[in-house]
Amino acid sequence: MIAKIVCYALNGLEGVPVEVETDVNKGVPAYEMVGLPDTAVKESKERVRSALKNSGMLFPMNKITINFAPADIKKEGASFDLAIAVSLLKASEQLLGADVGGTVFLGELALNGDLRPVNGLLPILISAKGQGFTKFVIPAANAQEARFMGGAEIYPATSLAEVVKHLVGTEPIPPLETAEYVVSAGGNGSADLKFVKGQPMARRALEIAVAGGHNLLMVGPPGTGKTMIARCLPTVMPDLSFEEALEITKIHSVAGVLGEEGIVNSRPFRTPHHTATTVSMCGGGNRIVHPGEISLAHGGVLFLDELPEYKRSTLEALRQPLEDGKITVSRAGGTFTFPARFMLCASMNPCPCGNYGSANLVCNCTPSEIRRYRKKVSGPLLDRIDLQVEVDNITYDALTSSELQESSAAVKERADAARNIQRNRFEGYGIHTNAEMGEREITAFCALSEEGDKILRAAFEKMKLSARARARIIKVARTIADLDASENVLPKHVYEAVSYRIYDKM
Amino acid sequence: MKLTEEEKAFIWLCSCTDTDYRTRVLLLQAAKNPANLWRNPEKFFREVINGRENRVYNIDRVSRERDLNAVLLAAEERGYFFVSLLSDDYPTELKEISAPPLLLFGAGNRELLGREKFCIVGSRLTPPWAEKQARAVSEALSERFVIVTGLAEGGDSAAIAGALESGNLICVLPNGLNVCYPAGQLSVKERVRKKGLLLSEYPFDEPLKRFYFHARNRILAGLAKGTLVVSAGERSGALITANYTADYGRDLYAFPYNLGVSQGAGCNALIKKGAYLATGADDIFLGFGIRPREKKQEDVTEEEARVLALLREEGELHVAVIAERTGIAIYAVTAVLSALEMKNLAAKAGGNRYCAI
Repeated sequence: MIAKIVCYALNGLEGVPVEVETDVNKGVPAYEMVGLPDTAVKESKERVRSALKNSGMLFPMNKITINFAPADIKKEGASFDLAIAVSLLKASEQLLGADVGGTVFLGELALNGDLRPVNGLLPILISAKGQGFTKFVIPAANAQEARFMGGAEIYPATSLAEVVKHLVGTEPIPPLETAEYVVSAGGNGSADLKFVKGQPMARRALEIAVAGGHNLLMVGPPGTGKTMIARCLPTVMPDLSFEEALEITKIHSVAGVLGEEGIVNSRPFRTPHHTATTVSMCGGGNRIVHPGEISLAHGGVLFLDELPEYKRSTLEALRQPLEDGKITVSRAGGTFTFPARFMLCASMNPCPCGNYGSANLVCNCTPSEIRRYRKKVSGPLLDRIDLQVEVDNITYDALTSSELQESSAAVKERADAARNIQRNRFEGYGIHTNAEMGEREITAFCALSEEGDKILRAAFEKMKLSARARARIIKVARTIADLDASENVLPKHVYEAVSYRIYDKM
Repeated sequence: MKLTEEEKAFIWLCSCTDTDYRTRVLLLQAAKNPANLWRNPEKFFREVINGRENRVYNIDRVSRERDLNAVLLAAEERGYFFVSLLSDDYPTELKEISAPPLLLFGAGNRELLGREKFCIVGSRLTPPWAEKQARAVSEALSERFVIVTGLAEGGDSAAIAGALESGNLICVLPNGLNVCYPAGQLSVKERVRKKGLLLSEYPFDEPLKRFYFHARNRILAGLAKGTLVVSAGERSGALITANYTADYGRDLYAFPYNLGVSQGAGCNALIKKGAYLATGADDIFLGFGIRPREKKQEDVTEEEARVLALLREEGELHVAVIAERTGIAIYAVTAVLSALEMKNLAAKAGGNRYCAI
C-alpha cells in the first residue's frame, strides 16, 4: 500500500511542501530513501525504527521505499522524522481509518518516540496556510510559536504515540488556542533613558534617529555610557505591530534563536562582537542558508560597539543592506533574500588612546595615528550614518535642566508623534520614515527656503560633502522639522542637521 | 641653464660632495673665490680636508662635470631651481643669520623669496581650537606676509591651510625635494608647490635624518621677520624654531594656553621668557606697525550674538552649559553653534565643547 504524507522543507524564509510517499512491498527486507535526502534525513531511518518500536508500533519487515517529492530540492534536517514515521505506519496499515490527507506533519523524533522541536516552524506554518493547508501536527515544544497564527487547526503533540492515538481517534489532541498578541514594553526594564546621566547631545541625537529611522554613530572616550545609551534605543522605538512581529519572528524562528514567548514582541537589539565574520553578519551557510545578524536585527537595532575594530570587509558588506533593507545571499544551494531593515547604531573612540577632545585628559596620539584609526571605517559607510554625535565625560552636577533626566517614555511619545506625521505624509509612497526617502520624496517634501539652501551650500563647500551626504542632511533636517511639528524645513533645522556630521568636520 | 663658475661651484659642492656644512664653509674660505674651487678643487680639498679628517675624495675633472650635469638635468626635468648665497634673490633676512645655507633648492614660485615673510609653527599635537585659530591667523597674515612653515601635521598644516589659497606660502623641508615627510602630506606638498614655494637645503633625493629638523628650523626662523608658535609641548620641535628666532633677534609670538594643557606648556614658557602673547593676527600686525584691517561686521541673529558673547567671556564651554546659561534649549543651541561655526565665529573644541574665534 502506498501512503502520502505532507511535510514542509524550509527554503530561506519560505516553506516548500514536500510529499513523503511510502510504499511497503513484499520482498527482502530493505529500506530505501530516494528524492535527494541529506545525511540527517537518511539517518532518520534509525530514529524512526526505534521510535516506532518504543511507541508500541511495528517497524514493517518488508521492502520499504520512501520517496520525497518534488525530487529536485534538497531535503535537509530532522523535521521530516514525524512525517516519515506516520507515512510508514499508514503504508503498513497500522493507521486504519485515520484521515491524514490534508494534515501537515512536522517534528523530529527521539529514540523513545518523543517529539523534538524544529527550527523555522512559524514560516512553514504561514507558507502552508497560504497554500491551503489548515491542519498541522507539530511538536508541543513549538506550540508557543504557533499559538499566534490564527485560522488553522494546530495539534501539538509530545510523542509519536500521542500522534497515533490522535489520528485513529482514540484520544484526540485538543487544537491549540490562538493567543492574543501583546506588545512588550521593550527591554527588560533595566534600560531606560532616565538612568542615563546627562548626555544631552546623545539624547537628542537618539530621539532624532528613532523619529526618522536614521543611523547613529556615537564617538566618545571609553566609559562614557555609549553602550548604555544604545541599549535605550529599543525602549524609544515605536511598538511592534503584529505584522512586524510576525515577520521578525519568522526570521528568528529560522535562525533558531526564538525565546520562550514564542513571538518576538519587542524590537530586537543585536550586538554582534567585533570578531564577527561577514557570513555571520549577512547570513550564509554551507547548504542551508541561515539569516545573519543584520536580518536578526530586522525591525530593531544592530549595535556595533567599537566600530573600527570590526573587520573592514564585514563593515563594507553592510553598505548595500543599509540602502536596500534586505540582503540577498547566493550559495550553491540557492539564492535567498532575507529582510534586513535595521537601524545601525555604532560606537567608537575618537582616537586610539580615547582621550581626544576630552576635557581633562590629554590625548597623546599623533595625527597620523588618529587618521589611521579613523580610516578603518570607510567613508562610504560613514556617509550612510546620518547622525554622528560626541559622547563626552563631563560631570553634570552643576546642571539642573530637566532634559537631562527624561525617561524613555517621554522621548518615545515625541518620536511617535513625529513618526505619525511621516506616516500620513508618505501615504501611498510605500515608505514609512524620512530615512527611506528617495530623490523623488526629497523634492516633494523637503523644499528648502532660499536661506536654507544657502546654508547647505556653505556647509557643502566647507565640509566637502558628497552628494549622498547632502541628501542625508536634508532628510535629518526633515525629521528635526517633524519633531518640531513644523510644516517646512527651516534654517535652524538645517543648521542642527549639519551639526550632526562631526566626522566631515574633523 | 646658463651658470657662472661660482654657481657651479656652489651646486657641485652642495649636491655632489659628501661634505658637511663646516667643511664646505672652510673650503669656500680657502678658495677665496668659489670659482677657484670649481677650477681646482684638488688643491683646496687636500689643504682643508687632510687637516681635518682621514678621507679620500674622488674629485677628478671628468666625474665632477658628469656629477654636476646629472644634477642640473634632474633639476631641469622637475622644474627645480637653485638659490645660492651669491644669487641676487637670496633672502636678505637669511643672509643675516650665523649659519646661512650655502645653497637652497626650490620648487614653485621663486618670487616669494624677495617678499616679507612671517613664520608660523606648531607641534603635531595641536588642539582643534588652536588649529582653527592658527588657520585664521595664517589667512589674515598671508595678505601682508608670505607665511613660512613646515610640512608636518597639526600646527604646520593649519598654517598651510590658511595661506595656501593666497599662494603666499613657503614650506621648508627637512629632506630633499623629491622626498615627502610625513608621507601622508604628499598631496599637500604638491599643492604648495603649485601655489606657493617649497625650499630645501638638501639634494633632491636626500632622505630625512633626525638632526635635519634642527637645521631646517634655523632656516624657518631665519627667513622670517618674526615667528608665531601656535602650540608646543614642553619638549616640542617648535621650541627650537622659537629659540632660533630669539637668537636672531626677531619677534617671537605665542598663543597662550590654559594651565595644565600639555600641548601648550611650551607656548606658556615662551611667553614667560618674554615672547609676545598673540591672540590673533591683529597682535602681530600691530607689532609690525601695520594697522589691522577693519573687521567686517558679521551678520548674526540675536541668539547667535548671545551665545557668542558668552563664549567670548568664558572661553571653552560645553554645549549643555551654554544652553543652561543662555536659556536656549540644548538642541537649539546646537543649531546656533553650527551656524556660528559656518560663519567662522566659533570652533568645535572636541567633546561637545565650543570656543569663540
